[in-house]
Amino acid sequence: MILLVKVDFIDLKERSAKLIISDTKPSFVNALRRVMLADLPKLAIEDVIFYENTSPLFDEIIAHRLGMIPLPTDLKLLVPRDKCSCGGKGCANCTVRYTLSKEGPCTVYSGDLQPEKETWSVVDPNIPIVKLFEGQRLILEAEAILGRGRDHAKWQAVQAPAYKYYPKIEIDQSKLDEDAIKKCIEICPKKILVEKDGKLVVSDVEKCSLCKSCMEVCEEGAIKVSGDDTKFIFKFETDGSLKAKDALIESARILEEKYKDFLESLG
Amino acid sequence: MIIPVRCFTCGKVIGSIYEEFKKRYEEYKRAVEAGEKPKETPKEILDDLGVERYCCRRMLLTHVDLLEEAAPYE
Repeated sequence: MILLVKVDFIDLKERSAKLIISDTKPSFVNALRRVMLADLPKLAIEDVIFYENTSPLFDEIIAHRLGMIPLPTDLKLLVPRDKCSCGGKGCANCTVRYTLSKEGPCTVYSGDLQPEKETWSVVDPNIPIVKLFEGQRLILEAEAILGRGRDHAKWQAVQAPAYKYYPKIEIDQSKLDEDAIKKCIEICPKKILVEKDGKLVVSDVEKCSLCKSCMEVCEEGAIKVSGDDTKFIFKFETDGSLKAKDALIESARILEEKYKDFLESLG
Repeated sequence: MIIPVRCFTCGKVIGSIYEEFKKRYEEYKRAVEAGEKPKETPKEILDDLGVERYCCRRMLLTHVDLLEEAAPYE
């Protein structure tokens, strides 16, 4: 059997995407979702060397907050440290270094992290790290490496990837009277049912959450709401470290790699 | 303490929008207390900032900024 998966973008922004994946199965879409969560590599700060920290927060808390900052990730330029030719020591191929030096009173923002090269400057410069008061100082050095979501949430590039079955709403007009139409319109939480020329019609089928409230308030068989298990609406966001489209392409590539490995292990 | 960098549940970065949210929320509070009609409600502020899910919304709505209390202790 040949499966030809069809993909249509409904909405593609730099940091979010909504697409329809059709002619496939829930297992495939779920595999893609899980790869996005756990296997997509991303750059994040892993080691921090503190030279001076007289801020109100502990070193550990600041290091953790630094780790959470999204950093621009170019997967063509970097390799994971454990696969790097430097043998885990940390070189320019696997490590990106940042420095930070600030004296209070001020607020330290993520944009105060100084990268070695301008191309690695943080994508979101307005994240507060810590507030420094009179005479307090923060001087540190940070090393960022590639990692995956399965090891720590800071390496999770995609936020809230989710899919739902494409809704299918069948309406039998002959079983609906004026009163039932009114009730259906009233109960729909997404407000997608509207009356047109005395008939009940659906305005935006993609918004339907498959709650089936409308089925319950009217005569049996008048409305049938079901999900199409060969067509899915897939939504996800990224934190800015990767572009939405790149994240999707890279995830699909990783999934392909996994199947290839499986095939090879069969001999 | 200080606003978390990311939402605890979904991981969306919310630290960067906290200061703007706070500024606009205080404007709303000032208007309500003065008996004026506020320009925007907290709901509209969150919608405008692109905070869609309720997990991220609670991060901003329920945060208490206590870092200044800890400031004298290094």
